[in-house]
Amino acid sequence: MADVQRPLPLEGVRVAEVTVVWAGPHVTQLLGEWGADVVRVEPTNRVQPYSRGGERVVSSEVSRRSAEQGQLLSAFPDFDPGDDPWNRSPAFNAHARNKRSMSCDVMSPEGREAFLRLIEHTDVLVENNVPITVERANLTYDVLREVNPRLIMLRMPAYGLGGPYKNYRGFGTHVEGMIGHHWLRGYPDGSPEETGEAFTADALAGVMGAFAITAALTHRERSGVGQQIEMPLAESFLPILGEWILDFTMNGRVAQPQGNLHRSHAPHGVYPARGDDQWIAIDVGTDEEFRALCTVLGAEHLATDERFVTAAARLDHRAALDEAMAPCTSQWDKDELFHRLQAAGVCAGAVHDELDLLASPQLAARGFFEELDMPGVGRHRYPGMMTQWANTPNQIRRPPPLLGEHNEEIYLDLLGYSREEYDALVAKGLVGFGHPESVVPRTWK
Amino acid sequence: MAQLFEGLRVLELARHVAGPFAGKLFADYGADVIKVEPPGGDPARHEGPHKDDVPNPEASALFLHLNTNKRSVTLDVEAEDGRALLRRLIDRVDVVIEDFQPGQMAEWGLGYDVLSRDHPDLVLASITPFGQSGPWRDYRGSELTLQALGGPLHLNGSGLRYPLKSGGYVAHYHAGLAAAYGCALARLRVIRGGAGDWIDQAVYEAQAGFRDRRTVYTTATSYTGKVSKRQPPGTRPAMGARPTADGYANIYAGGTKHFPAALDMIGRPDLKDHPDMQKPMAVWSEDFAAEVEGSWMAWMIQRTKREAVADTQALGMLGGAILTTEDLVSDPHYRGRGVWDTIDHPATGPVEYPGRQLILSETPRQAPRRAPLLGEHTGEVLAALQARQEAPRG
Repeated sequence: MADVQRPLPLEGVRVAEVTVVWAGPHVTQLLGEWGADVVRVEPTNRVQPYSRGGERVVSSEVSRRSAEQGQLLSAFPDFDPGDDPWNRSPAFNAHARNKRSMSCDVMSPEGREAFLRLIEHTDVLVENNVPITVERANLTYDVLREVNPRLIMLRMPAYGLGGPYKNYRGFGTHVEGMIGHHWLRGYPDGSPEETGEAFTADALAGVMGAFAITAALTHRERSGVGQQIEMPLAESFLPILGEWILDFTMNGRVAQPQGNLHRSHAPHGVYPARGDDQWIAIDVGTDEEFRALCTVLGAEHLATDERFVTAAARLDHRAALDEAMAPCTSQWDKDELFHRLQAAGVCAGAVHDELDLLASPQLAARGFFEELDMPGVGRHRYPGMMTQWANTPNQIRRPPPLLGEHNEEIYLDLLGYSREEYDALVAKGLVGFGHPESVVPRTWK
Repeated sequence: MAQLFEGLRVLELARHVAGPFAGKLFADYGADVIKVEPPGGDPARHEGPHKDDVPNPEASALFLHLNTNKRSVTLDVEAEDGRALLRRLIDRVDVVIEDFQPGQMAEWGLGYDVLSRDHPDLVLASITPFGQSGPWRDYRGSELTLQALGGPLHLNGSGLRYPLKSGGYVAHYHAGLAAAYGCALARLRVIRGGAGDWIDQAVYEAQAGFRDRRTVYTTATSYTGKVSKRQPPGTRPAMGARPTADGYANIYAGGTKHFPAALDMIGRPDLKDHPDMQKPMAVWSEDFAAEVEGSWMAWMIQRTKREAVADTQALGMLGGAILTTEDLVSDPHYRGRGVWDTIDHPATGPVEYPGRQLILSETPRQAPRRAPLLGEHTGEVLAALQARQEAPRG
């Protein structure tokens, strides 16, 4: 097979993004990882909402205090927002690898001109703005296809390009409420206020968007035409709840908060381990597994307790079983118990926080984390790719871009601006390398 | 008009959620997906909920949902003649999705090296708990344990209680989607003249790369050495899930750029003059936080969850109602957009399913076909194989 060619599959594909928050940037992250040239179009003369965290930058002291309380959204490198906090946001830098940054305000006439020139050189455009914003900017697919009929445009508003919720604004956490997932994942005996916020919809929509674009590129190879893909966050998430939805449409049963319960397995839950806020997840289906669990735990009294001897009995008495197991598991280090249970054929997993994940021998053996050096931010480890291909080694090709880092090469080399035209945009404040104080007051200083 | 995956041939040798969801993504948008089931059927057929809670392999909600638009062939891969047949089927398809334990396919003589020798275009995706290599390769994994090890499970729930699994089979749906993305990418490379590949999808790694907080906070930990923690409920005043007159809504008001307008809306414009208004929420005084929270709660409880969201959306605030499945299925927005497919099936009668994720301007999705009965298409698939056997490969 010496003659087979295995380049990254999206080599030669250019992607532009006008995206905010997490879901849109996640799509382009995934496209960039597999070879696409991703150009992030972002203004410097105003703040792109909820992207690089420029809205309200916190001080070093607040960054540290929040992180110590376990709130990490403002966890700057070494807790230091620096002079350029927009280059130091963990939320942004977690997805921005393999992207180039071009400063451009598509709402300004000059920015529109540059953006339309970029679209001529672009295969894919990804946006996840509120639909009315795109309409006001007059950058809908009908307009852009006139510029480039081969363009594939992914539009991913929260709820759709039409319908009563068309212009509703929401993060993944709000979308997960609006499709029934927040309710489902709560404590069975608790309230949704206790559930905490999750951004599951962003995680799913990101991959679904990248999948849809790849399929549309494949179709374009044959047909020669691009297309618009409308993929509301909410609708991309609905199939994840398929069995719960069918239980209602088929049986009339309204799903109740599930917590850690399983339909047929018990024990099935998260049990305390030794230490503060340390836990182990254990999932037992068969009687044989249950006996093995009891042996490892040294809890023979549970193995012979008639409430727990069969799977059906355990399910009937699962609350009592959970209560009886907790004192046994809490003697153990979570990782030691995890490996001992796996060796005994019991499905178990320690509950791992981010430090545990960074120390995972499995991820280390597979080379999951990658170290990147970002100018001014330094060398740090970042999560790598979530899929491996046996014969196509792949690594992150460039670190997250600084705001406007690639202005010159994009305006001059790709879009054909003259040096004078480019300098004029810089002089007008439409192209730059940071947010001026008038846009982002230095309140954190 | 053509379907998105018109002409693509996929063989699904996978069970339960992850692999079948990958197969469904291709099938729903026009690929010919042959699902190979063991004689007893995909285990999802035996998992509830079933129609009227009566166990019936043809009436499992999980199976019916995950296997729309596919054809079913029963075949015993444990037996040699079953594997010989499987080998011939694989030679005729573009993509194979399997989820056996690492090493099992190779043991059967169906490893990637063997399959790709005569079929370099083949895209093989293997979905396993921990991947094809590494010290945990042979460990067992389930939805709960893989969320615990790989995903943000430690962060779900209240800081005053135990951590919570995320809902349903979200880690396995996500891993299936990631595998499907890999297959679509590799297929694109093949169409452009390159080679296929063997895609190694670990559910664990998909969780480690999960953009529901996991990658963000792992990056933050990498920056600071600190870890994220579950927070007690109500940590952020006027922000997050709160009770309404008929359930709950999750609205972001406190501390946002719309907060002054929100204070006007709830009848507390006086609070706008408080010195804490200029500070980040993290450093608000307890008194101010309590004033804000109390007034906000009083306003919320006087409205339904949808009214609270509509009123705050009108001011540009982020938010959403916390709907149940019943709320969801009856909601006029989704209903008006046509997201529900009514699909008839001999074992259930007509039932509404979640339909398309994508609205495609050039390759609209076909009308959906119900999930196959066990082995429903064994005869026609084997007859076609026989016919092709007698003709040159094409």
